[in-house]
Amino acid sequence: MQEYFSNGRLGRLCLKELRESLRDRRTIATLFLMPILVYPLLSMAMQRLIVGSVRGTSEKQEYLIGVADEDTAQIVNNSIRETQRAINAGVRPSIDIVRSQSSSSKKLDSAGADSDNADGDNADSNQRDDLQALFRLAMPERTSTSEALKDGILDLAVIQAKQTDVPLRDGQSIPVFEFELQFREGDLKSEGAMLEFRKAMQLVNDYQAAMIRGPALPAAVQLKATSIGTRLDPTASLAGVLPLVLILMTITGAVYPAIDLTAGERERGTMEAMIATPAPRFVLLLSKYVAVVTVAVLTALANLLASWITLSIGGLGRALLGEQGFSIFALLQILPLLVIFAAFFSAILLAMCSFARSFKEAQAYLIPVMLVSLAPALVTLMPNIEFSTWLGVVPLVNILLLSRDIMTGSPAPLPAFAAVFSTLIYAAAALVVASRLFGAESATAGSQESLSDLLQRPRKARALPDLGELAIYLAILFPFFFIVTNLTGQWVTEIVPRMWCNALVLLLLFLIAPVLFVWYRRLSFRNTFLLDFGASSCSKSGRFGMLSQLGWLISSVLLGLGLWVIAFELFKVLSDLGFGALSLERSESLDALKKQIRDIPFWMFLLTSALVPAIAEEFFFRGFVLSAFRHRLSAVWSIALSALIFGVFHVISGSVLSIERFFPTLLLGFALGLLAVRTGRLWPGIFTHAIHNGLMFWLTRFEEHELEGWFGKGNQHFPVLWIAASAVVVVVAILLLWFSSLDRSHENVS
Amino acid sequence: MIVATHLRKQFVVRGKPLVAVNGISFHVKEGEVYGLLGPNGAGKTTTIRMVMGLLEPDEGYVEIGGMRTDQHASMIRKELGLISTNDGVYPWLSVREMLLYFADLYAVEVPIAKERLEELAGLLGIRDFLDQRCSTLSTGQKQRVTLARGLMHDPPVMLLDEPTRGLDVVGSQTVFEFIDFLKKRGKSVLLSTHRLDEAERVCDRFGLLHHGTIRYEGTLSDLRALTGKEHLVDMFIDLIQSDRTQAPISSSMGAA
Repeated sequence: MQEYFSNGRLGRLCLKELRESLRDRRTIATLFLMPILVYPLLSMAMQRLIVGSVRGTSEKQEYLIGVADEDTAQIVNNSIRETQRAINAGVRPSIDIVRSQSSSSKKLDSAGADSDNADGDNADSNQRDDLQALFRLAMPERTSTSEALKDGILDLAVIQAKQTDVPLRDGQSIPVFEFELQFREGDLKSEGAMLEFRKAMQLVNDYQAAMIRGPALPAAVQLKATSIGTRLDPTASLAGVLPLVLILMTITGAVYPAIDLTAGERERGTMEAMIATPAPRFVLLLSKYVAVVTVAVLTALANLLASWITLSIGGLGRALLGEQGFSIFALLQILPLLVIFAAFFSAILLAMCSFARSFKEAQAYLIPVMLVSLAPALVTLMPNIEFSTWLGVVPLVNILLLSRDIMTGSPAPLPAFAAVFSTLIYAAAALVVASRLFGAESATAGSQESLSDLLQRPRKARALPDLGELAIYLAILFPFFFIVTNLTGQWVTEIVPRMWCNALVLLLLFLIAPVLFVWYRRLSFRNTFLLDFGASSCSKSGRFGMLSQLGWLISSVLLGLGLWVIAFELFKVLSDLGFGALSLERSESLDALKKQIRDIPFWMFLLTSALVPAIAEEFFFRGFVLSAFRHRLSAVWSIALSALIFGVFHVISGSVLSIERFFPTLLLGFALGLLAVRTGRLWPGIFTHAIHNGLMFWLTRFEEHELEGWFGKGNQHFPVLWIAASAVVVVVAILLLWFSSLDRSHENVS
Repeated sequence: MIVATHLRKQFVVRGKPLVAVNGISFHVKEGEVYGLLGPNGAGKTTTIRMVMGLLEPDEGYVEIGGMRTDQHASMIRKELGLISTNDGVYPWLSVREMLLYFADLYAVEVPIAKERLEELAGLLGIRDFLDQRCSTLSTGQKQRVTLARGLMHDPPVMLLDEPTRGLDVVGSQTVFEFIDFLKKRGKSVLLSTHRLDEAERVCDRFGLLHHGTIRYEGTLSDLRALTGKEHLVDMFIDLIQSDRTQAPISSSMGAA
């Protein structure tokens, strides 16, 4: 295996696959010709669509203005009537002439807008046909005008209206209006309504200024307009089209090479010769995978550039995506997303194509897959779809929604994180499946044999899980874990049930499920979970005397005592740096939690926050995960990668993303990984983990003023002396670990 | 070099068990060409696949140079070369690229691979189109590229699975010359074919395979003495006819 990763051999193998696909004209066609054709055509189609949605079919645009009550309606009506007067008086302002029509306070329920039957006093206005805008008044019944505006039922909402009649010298009086209005920013229709209303009121201003030249008069109409966040935005659905097209094109780019490099290999008769070589199938597939991903990424890049140029030139970008258009910044964010997606879908494609024996068969497999994956993709085009948390782990959909949100604004951090991480895990799992399927001997036995190998219970017992099993377990675990923690974070708000809930989830997903998995795959419990309690045993980790065990015990306790101070400080520093400030409500809910935490009995606290996490997480992260890595990789890489996964899982806490937890957890993961590898046992890590968690949560039971005795007044941090002492303790613990793990018999650990 | 012991392989075809290879044993010495002969469906390809380690035998085992295939799979593959009927070429690669690719697959060091490429290019007469795309080659040229491909890692054991099927006289002649060359180099060759006349020309020893068992084994003169027939073709006709009368004939004579 090693000889395929050295001397640039893997690079040369990849190069062969790349040559094969890039020299093929069909690949080049999808790579360059398609984007050149697709985007100009698409932009033309969209331009028509947008123009249609804004202007409508008739030239007169109708706008629905929401009012809260009869009085407001009356005032708005009066103002519009003033406009009428201005027009009748022949005021010709420089701006467009506005026709107004009011159906006095038409009832409207919140579910749907009714704008068909215009009733009321529009008889006189019908005579004028040189008018362009039409205002209707509506009164939402079961909801506020703001809400109705947000839901897209109204185009404009009147929040406040005030009318004062200012008496003139000749006994007459003229009305002066003050309005406070709301509109949806970024929504073309609502912005249009705002503009037309403003124009109409300007007309009144002009009229009054022309009629009565009094210096003491205030402006006839004062408008105060505020925009609200867009929830239902007709262009948002159009903004969703672009990611979909980009993703589709990326898929298209990957399909041909994926078929050609797998099923094509069979068809050309080169597969058997290739499989007969000592090169491991995984290496063969990896080189093909690299080639497919490269072509897919090139396609994505070509499409991204073509779409960016098209949108920038036509001004369509601004119409679709708001003021900033399709910014270079958005482009730079979407490119890595497309790369991640390419990594994911290429693996899926390779798995599907490896199953096929010929080009035709591969195409027959792929078409249903594409259609099935398109159905949820089309869902993302629906205007009301929000990038909610649980959609973050739905493959394909998550990347689509994330890129839509990047283009139109800021995406929510938690689903964004879930989208990226889960897609990477799915890619790894799909790659594993592909490498099992690839080159499976189909000459006589049928290709099902090797697929069932992956699903069925193996016949032979093995010592450790392999990386493939890890990838597949993670691909199942992560979405499950993510959704479950989210739901408990949202639904279980009481502290006591929540803590039991968390402990239960930890036990189920990190202890019971891995144990069942290990049993099902006939792996050795003892080797996978480092279960060695005896004083001297286990050929793999060498022989250790009682003295070593004592050394481990002391060093694990010391690590637990020392690490938490450093981890806590790291956490504090990162929070102060703003890593934790992702959600405003959090600090409040934390304070509320703190109060509740003080009421919990201490034993329960220890059980659910220290003991259960320590046991469950050590079984999973230092047992299952670390063992799977140790199977193939060196100790250093195994510790690093398992710590990384440990850190990533801890970033998700409840329904929020706590980036600030990543580095402290990573640090802890390194220490625990080192402990597990050096001792070859799980129990020292459980000790350290439990002590660490116990102390950390114990600290949260105190109010700030109670900690002043330790921290010093007004100080939220540990004193420097404390931190230094903890560092010394950690160093001593590691030294002790080192010397007590020196193998006294035949074989060295690590 | 090759020792196959009591190989047995059973497939399930449409729910019914089908014994493709039923307890066959043979051995091939260094510098020897062993012909695995039999009609279509006799179990030749299945046997070769088991020797390759591509198929796991249900019973029995294969040793290559003293190593069992089920224990040293990747080491053994370096010792084996395989050329079969259906071998194709990569249309978009040049001949040189393709041959060096296979050298990489066999983990041959680059300088050695380049040296060997030059040697094989002269030997098989492919030097003129080394930098041509494979898609532009004629059938005969492609075949010579395939033969070169099988030798890029200079294996001591060569498995030839119906190497002449679909070739004309000139093409077949190239294969014979290739086999002669292998023999001179002291390689062990396992040749499977249903062309008995060809086999008579190139093989040192034969195993006559029928319904998954070796019915006769030995040199041509052994077989002639055993069956009383002059040519392999007649021996086979005899065999098939005796099969109809269900007379069992001694098998597994060559167990090492």
